[in-house]
Amino acid sequence: MTDPLLELRDLRVWFPIGDGLFRAKRNLRAVDGIDLRVAPGEALGIVGESGCGKSTLARAILRLVRTSGGQVVWLGKPIEGWSTSRVRPLRRDMQIVFQDPLASLDPRMTVGEIVAEPLRVHARDLSRAERRERVIDILARVGLPADVVNRYPHEFSGGQCQRIGIARAMVLRPKLLVCDEPVSALDVSIQAQIVNLLQDLKRDFGMTILFVSHNLAVVRRLCDRVLVLYLGKPMELASTDLLYSQPRHPYTQGLLAAVPVPDPDLQPQRLGGALGGELPSPMAPPSGCVFRTRCAHAVAACAAAAPRLQSVETGHEVACDRWREISASGAVA
Amino acid sequence: MSQDEAPVALDIEQLSVVFDTPDGPLSAVNDFALEIRRGECVGVVGESGAGKSQSFLAVMGLLAANARVSGQARLGTEPLIGRSIAELNQFRGVKLSMIFQDPMTSLTPHMTVGEQIAESIIHHLKISADAARARALALLEQVQVTDAPRRLDQYPHELSGGMRQRVMIAIALACDPEVLIADEPTTALDVTIQAQILALLAKLKRERGMAMALITHDLGVVAGIADRVAVMYAGRVVELGTVHEVLKAPKHPYTAALLASMPRIDDTGTGPLPAIGGQPPNPRRLPPGCAFGPRCERVDETCRAARPALAGHDRRVACHHPLERP
Repeated sequence: MTDPLLELRDLRVWFPIGDGLFRAKRNLRAVDGIDLRVAPGEALGIVGESGCGKSTLARAILRLVRTSGGQVVWLGKPIEGWSTSRVRPLRRDMQIVFQDPLASLDPRMTVGEIVAEPLRVHARDLSRAERRERVIDILARVGLPADVVNRYPHEFSGGQCQRIGIARAMVLRPKLLVCDEPVSALDVSIQAQIVNLLQDLKRDFGMTILFVSHNLAVVRRLCDRVLVLYLGKPMELASTDLLYSQPRHPYTQGLLAAVPVPDPDLQPQRLGGALGGELPSPMAPPSGCVFRTRCAHAVAACAAAAPRLQSVETGHEVACDRWREISASGAVA
Repeated sequence: MSQDEAPVALDIEQLSVVFDTPDGPLSAVNDFALEIRRGECVGVVGESGAGKSQSFLAVMGLLAANARVSGQARLGTEPLIGRSIAELNQFRGVKLSMIFQDPMTSLTPHMTVGEQIAESIIHHLKISADAARARALALLEQVQVTDAPRRLDQYPHELSGGMRQRVMIAIALACDPEVLIADEPTTALDVTIQAQILALLAKLKRERGMAMALITHDLGVVAGIADRVAVMYAGRVVELGTVHEVLKAPKHPYTAALLASMPRIDDTGTGPLPAIGGQPPNPRRLPPGCAFGPRCERVDETCRAARPALAGHDRRVACHHPLERP
């Protein structure tokens, strides 16, 4: 791998949770020991069920939540412990697109003001005219005409608002674009437009994308590599091809099997193979492998020690001590 | 199919819904017609604003106060449209039940799960509290709530989203309904829980012989459990057929485009998705001809001039230039 743009070393985000007035605080381990290297220009998908820590991980990378341990390394420099003012210049290179397209735009600002705001913060030497030009350029790039600059967010549909949000994130030409469920709130016909737009932007600007999503089909289409999280821990990390064609972790297998396909010849059978059970409370995660309580292949040893990510082959790691036996038994969900 | 002989449980004819708004009337549903037979699940598919929820809220008598409804809907032989709340309450929650998208806001936060299930049982079936509690427990077990006896005395906030939706289903099933309307029942849930809930709904439909309307935006969801599918666009049904016909050989260009634009988990393609251009139309400014015309690849002068009628008998399509089977 070339020098990573971003590296995470044993990153942890624990939230202290008060448990009554006189009882000790406990920690909710939202993100618990993530190691990851993200190459420039790569699109990395982060997937898992609600509560798996995928959004928290994305926000920790942008320092929108405080980390509890480990390191975020940006272009070779560990940025842990940096003050807000020292981090601010880095923000220019790391931008985020949020899930709710309308709620993430200030209703009292015009579209032009919204998209220009990052320039006002990070590119203060630009003249008004230059700023305006940059704004109109990027709006055109996301498929919006120049005359939208004087209009307000409520005048636009969800898909158009998401384009505005993407324009705001892209106007600084960031090196890293974090997308937190960017198409989840959109209608199916609009989802495809936004997925295509992100693909085009990635190709044209060569930026790195962290794509947080519960939509595994969209991730397959858009991402080069995928990290599967469960209760804050990594389950599997692989190139998109390998993850979808040869998932090794029983959780990944269950997750993929649960995604409905619009084919009446296939889908009724797929429903029968659904992963049972529910996410355990993150306040009381199972000992050993956190997935074992829902795993059809769990044995006594799984309760003893938490499996670490181990290499299956180049570009494919899985956090399951039994993956060889499971693969050999041909048990694919 | 055996469902063809089964009696019609819910019969909706020429249903239209218009909302009176400060900006004038807004037409949400036009000429909606659908028969659902006993033991049959019909998927009603469309994007936001297509009119799928409003059609069934009209059937339930649950529309906002500024709505005007015309047309008819019959539960068996019993007409539903235009009835008073008291009259409707003889059917709602008894023979005709509905479950909603958001299981948190649909449950009462200050009542236990057991009380909420028992409430409608006691009200409609006039049985003792103890008998109702026993029945509530049996229902929770039927909808596969784990640790059911303990759950009876829990409050909604103590349950996960999936468990809450199971409780909603238990409430809907409490009085053995003939018709169950499920409005996006799994949209708020994770895919793994969605698969569990869909498998449960399919099992309940099979075992109880209920008629079911499954409202969803997800063609994958209907593929798993629906027998027939109605596709809606801009307030109208544009295509109707068996789930195989509609999903495997769509005739309406909108249905075909929707299928093509959905990324699939089993698709190895990495290029751009064949997206549908444009936006769904504003209901106040529908184009004169076919509402899908401005986004359609097959559009011509005929489509711009006249709105196509929903033609055909069992297999229906509203298009001047329907796609033919390859």
